[in-house]
Amino acid sequence: MLFLQTLINGILIGGLYACVAVGFSLVWGVSNIINIAHGLFVILGAYITYWIYTLYHIDPLLTLPISAAALFCLGFLVQKYVLNFVVGEAQESSMGVFMTLILTFGLARVLENVMALLWTGDWRSVTTSYSGTFLDLGGVSIPYIRIVVFALALAAAWLLSVILNRTRTGMAIRAVTFSLDGARIVGIDLPFIYAVTFAIGAGLAGIAGTLVSMIYSFSPFHSTPYLSWAFVIVVMGGLGSIFGAVVGGVLLGIIEALATVYIGPGYQQAVGFMILVLLLVFRPQGLFGKQFLK
Amino acid sequence: MNKTQRNIVVILVCLAAAGAFPFTVGNYWIRMFTVIFMYGALAQATNILMGFSGLVPFGNVVFFGMGAYITGIAMITWKMPFPAALLLAALSCATFTLIIGHPILKLQGHYFAIATMGISEAIRQMVTNLDFTGGGMGLNLPLPVLGPGRAYYFFYFLMLLMMLAVTGATYLVTRSRLGYALRAVMANEEGGRSLGINTAYYKVLAWAISAFFTGAVGGVFAYWYSYIDPPSVFDISIAVRFIIMILLGGAGTIIGPILGAFFIELLTESIWSKFLSFHLGVLGTVIMLVVIFMPKGFVWWYEQRFSLRALLSNVRKSGI
Repeated sequence: MLFLQTLINGILIGGLYACVAVGFSLVWGVSNIINIAHGLFVILGAYITYWIYTLYHIDPLLTLPISAAALFCLGFLVQKYVLNFVVGEAQESSMGVFMTLILTFGLARVLENVMALLWTGDWRSVTTSYSGTFLDLGGVSIPYIRIVVFALALAAAWLLSVILNRTRTGMAIRAVTFSLDGARIVGIDLPFIYAVTFAIGAGLAGIAGTLVSMIYSFSPFHSTPYLSWAFVIVVMGGLGSIFGAVVGGVLLGIIEALATVYIGPGYQQAVGFMILVLLLVFRPQGLFGKQFLK
Repeated sequence: MNKTQRNIVVILVCLAAAGAFPFTVGNYWIRMFTVIFMYGALAQATNILMGFSGLVPFGNVVFFGMGAYITGIAMITWKMPFPAALLLAALSCATFTLIIGHPILKLQGHYFAIATMGISEAIRQMVTNLDFTGGGMGLNLPLPVLGPGRAYYFFYFLMLLMMLAVTGATYLVTRSRLGYALRAVMANEEGGRSLGINTAYYKVLAWAISAFFTGAVGGVFAYWYSYIDPPSVFDISIAVRFIIMILLGGAGTIIGPILGAFFIELLTESIWSKFLSFHLGVLGTVIMLVVIFMPKGFVWWYEQRFSLRALLSNVRKSGI
């Protein structure tokens, strides 16, 4: 029973991990930008929900579009007016990738500081009237909120694949990952595509943030776990792969849950990182091979 | 005077100034400069791998932590004297890279960076959970027998010595086969290998030298602070800090990382006192501006004779 309960907990939380990772993976795959500020985007999304919920008592689930839209706009502006100045270099050399990494590290520190000024460094969380209710399946209990979070996280990943496969802009984003020169030749507006891609990545982080606020407590100075999940999952699932991110997220959720119960709570993250290193050494293309934006 | 003579004079003046400095200022500044030398040594040690081969060991802070912990455990559990413990720590770190170096250094670009970060975090978690490391409680090292007044001078000169030793090693690397092999890796690794350079061997060697010095600096830090715990010595932001120093000063130059360390530390200190509630934000903004306008670092800008046009051309060149 304990095993089953742990497994279900892991799967449900894995959906959220996937939602955190999928935007990070998209940005890295398309623009070759490793966005260190991604974890802070998640926290910002959580704060937006917290803010609206505390001030206007609007249900956290209804704030989801607001935090997604706010982060989308922020992401668009950041890429258009900051990251586009260095992104050309990122395509050229491995040191160039590092420039974007350091740049987003700087951005992360600014965001962290702004959030600490606005909302202080205290731990916050959103507690609704239905937070404590759960579904009892004879020995295995599942909180309703986790089921909702899982479903919404997967819906966000599905929405992304629809955008990428069905819309004109989405297809342009995919074209950029296939061939940069080809995209230029057919007249794709690269700065705009990079900005939209980063905006979508940030918007997904915003959605993840709203979901995080409902099940975890959060503070501006504790964004690293979200970033490290994203790293592990991207390496597991393959760069830029939505399907890979979802499967990788659920796998990581299960592995972490089992490690917590059977090895000890302190080793939860160590196991994730060891998997990361082993995968990089033995299977750097990810578990499912290269599947760019399929 | 030709260029070499001028350089020697400049170096001698700087050394004399560094030697006289602690006797003319208070403890606050001695401590401040000890920290600067520490970061200078760390940045320089990482520069040996990163500056010449272009591989960025994002998790190099793992050797800082391992060096600190091995020094601590050797002094507490095995009652070793400080110099022996320090040497043991530095050698263990170098040995560790020889074991993991080969598979990890096969990874390209940012995958290498992420793998080192993963190793660093995994080891941090293990140190937090094991018993003989003191776990999350940390370790208390024996206090130096010098007394607090003289300890300031002792650690000032020890860190200065560390920084000079790494800088000397870097200078030797630039002139050796190792330096040329690493530059070949940066320019075109396949090409280097086809010319018969054993790039894998040289990369591991460079990382081992880098780990040796990083571990030694970690050991000195542990003895200096006399208390260490996993969050303080395995902090990934220490690594980010010295990588920024390298980029800011100029990767692959000998003086660059030290200039970077001076700039970032003095800047952080002055921001800290002036913008107490927004110092992180100011630091972040400075980092962003440097990356956008001066991605090749100070030394490059000096070679451009501090021209503003060169800064602007960077933005045009690396944008899209």
